[in-house]
Amino acid sequence: MTENALIERLKESIIAYDEDEARKVAEEIVTADIDPLKVIEEGISSGANVVSDKFESEEYYLPELMLAGEAMQAASEVLMGGLSNEKRDEMEARTVGTAITATVFGDIHDIGKNILSMLLTVNGFKVIDLGRGVDSMEIVQRAREYKADIIALSALMTTTMPSQKEVIDILEAMETRDEFIVMVGGGSTSLLWADEIGADGWAEIAPKAVELAKELVEKRRRG
Amino acid sequence: MKMVPPWRLNQLLERVETGPICTERDFDLRILYPKLRSLIKEYDLKFDPEEIVPSDDSLADDLWNAAWDLYLDVGTLCLSNHRRILFEESEIKEAMRFSSSEITVGTGRDARRMGKREIEDTRTPHCILSPDITCDEEIFTPYTIAYLQEPLADGVCAPILDTIEGIPIKSGSPMEVKASIAHAMMFREAARRVGKPGLNLQSVGTAESDAAQIAVSNPEWGARPSDTRFVPSIAELKIDYSLLNKMVHFHQYGGIPGALFGPLYGGYSGGAEGTALVGIAFHIMALMVNQTYWSLYFPIHFRYSYNTSRELLWVLSVTYQALSRNTPFISLSGGFTDAGPCTPMVLYEAAAHGLASTVSGANLWEIATAENKHKNRATPLEARLACEVGYGSVEERLKREDANELVKGIIAKYEGKLGNAPLGKMFQECYDLKTITPSKEYLDLYEGIKKELGDMGVPSI
Repeated sequence: MTENALIERLKESIIAYDEDEARKVAEEIVTADIDPLKVIEEGISSGANVVSDKFESEEYYLPELMLAGEAMQAASEVLMGGLSNEKRDEMEARTVGTAITATVFGDIHDIGKNILSMLLTVNGFKVIDLGRGVDSMEIVQRAREYKADIIALSALMTTTMPSQKEVIDILEAMETRDEFIVMVGGGSTSLLWADEIGADGWAEIAPKAVELAKELVEKRRRG
Repeated sequence: MKMVPPWRLNQLLERVETGPICTERDFDLRILYPKLRSLIKEYDLKFDPEEIVPSDDSLADDLWNAAWDLYLDVGTLCLSNHRRILFEESEIKEAMRFSSSEITVGTGRDARRMGKREIEDTRTPHCILSPDITCDEEIFTPYTIAYLQEPLADGVCAPILDTIEGIPIKSGSPMEVKASIAHAMMFREAARRVGKPGLNLQSVGTAESDAAQIAVSNPEWGARPSDTRFVPSIAELKIDYSLLNKMVHFHQYGGIPGALFGPLYGGYSGGAEGTALVGIAFHIMALMVNQTYWSLYFPIHFRYSYNTSRELLWVLSVTYQALSRNTPFISLSGGFTDAGPCTPMVLYEAAAHGLASTVSGANLWEIATAENKHKNRATPLEARLACEVGYGSVEERLKREDANELVKGIIAKYEGKLGNAPLGKMFQECYDLKTITPSKEYLDLYEGIKKELGDMGVPSI
């Protein structure tokens, strides 16, 4: 099979959210010694864009989005495993950014956060999803551990919104606020709330949050 | 005398601790999702945008049978200990056989019957009115009175506090307990002020945590045993210890627990067919796990939190038809509009929700507006219209096929704006806070839309 045909197969396996096929094709790609950067761009990223569009148009729903994310993850692990340290560093440098995502303390509603996590993943972010009802200090500690660019905090209920502020308060108390971009979102939140608590960004829905995340990371890198 | 729920409480609580271990990701993607897909295919379930209120009994029965298979196979995931709670077919049948299809809520002369309804039932729906949203604490009492004084209200759920004495309420904190007690006291006093001291006060919206719910149980100043309470579920088909703690307390205290669940269209249940199946399965879970007498069911769009589109009204209609034909379950259909108060669109959406739900066999819980995320943004007027249309459809003995045409006519007036609906106005802009009466602007709009709907053939009282 030609190089382009293999890359196309990988792309199709991601669009078909077929994890087993994605892993298998990735192994064939490693054996064929194809440039992994080309595979990432033309296979994985390209497939992810199609998945993202299908989700936006409601042709795909959350399960398809998450399964496609797993297929991407499986293929990426195989490709990365076959790389030299130098090449791996080059690949990691191409990651858009690292994001910690969490639904804040007291809140059990995590579907919006799950959608954001997957959309960030398919858009090239390394995502560490901490789950739901996460303690504020735990969020800060994990963000420092992973040297995250972004801390994205979801809260559906008005009474859990104060926990978003609490994370920012902890960052300020630990004098690490400047190290992170803090984004907030979720059903009851608003731009006004984000401004009030000193967050760096807010978006109404997950796809807009992804665009904002890219902009904020880019802006930060430009200094 | 029927005696379920609770159904074998010790057996359930023991099973919570002994079911098979399962990660949440596996439950969502490797158990629920493939089973849903295979059942939709096996039963050939299809959403038809022209049949929002279908008249096909076999569709309702297919949905019921598929949801039965779904719940038996998938069960419920307890997130606190990562275990699935599974039941034998005979156990669910036993619980259903002995469960009540009619209960009494409230007390004294304010007591009301809440019962299971049939498709095209000639009995009026039980109506609970609720803004479903947070409010400024300064207006809590007039806001609550505005709902309590509505004649069609068989029960009321008050707005939610997010501050108390000016201090923000953080969920799970002691301030939540304090605020919830204040909420319960003010709610009880408001009911007394409007002359309905025994009315069912759905209690207590501010109390999100189990500790706060337990703290407001008090027959003198707080939630009474005759009041309804919530044992919510987590999307999709999940529960945790905190929610089960509430359930145990409500049964010990003597309250009337109801389940609360809103499957997300576009979420783990997928499209319209999957959302309906999960919605029906949630009702089985309500009896077996939440151990509740009744349910509040509000499937909503995962992105915009409304349920007045063709897809979501179809989900509501077929769910209630399936339940009516096959179960004794008492369930209320919760409306969620895209538009906010004092707009024509919110009134059209309310009418469509009230009509489609009532004819299909639901009771009514009306109505969250403006995607249910803007403080103070819901009023009794749009809730009133939804209930009046529900009552009208009963008085007119409306059939499903007639309701379908009428709902399509109403939807045509707003569906192009779904996802970009007008925000409308806040309660204090729609009501005089001293006299607790609607503004002339909103009252005129309400009367105008009601007349327009009447001219279209949409019945109301």
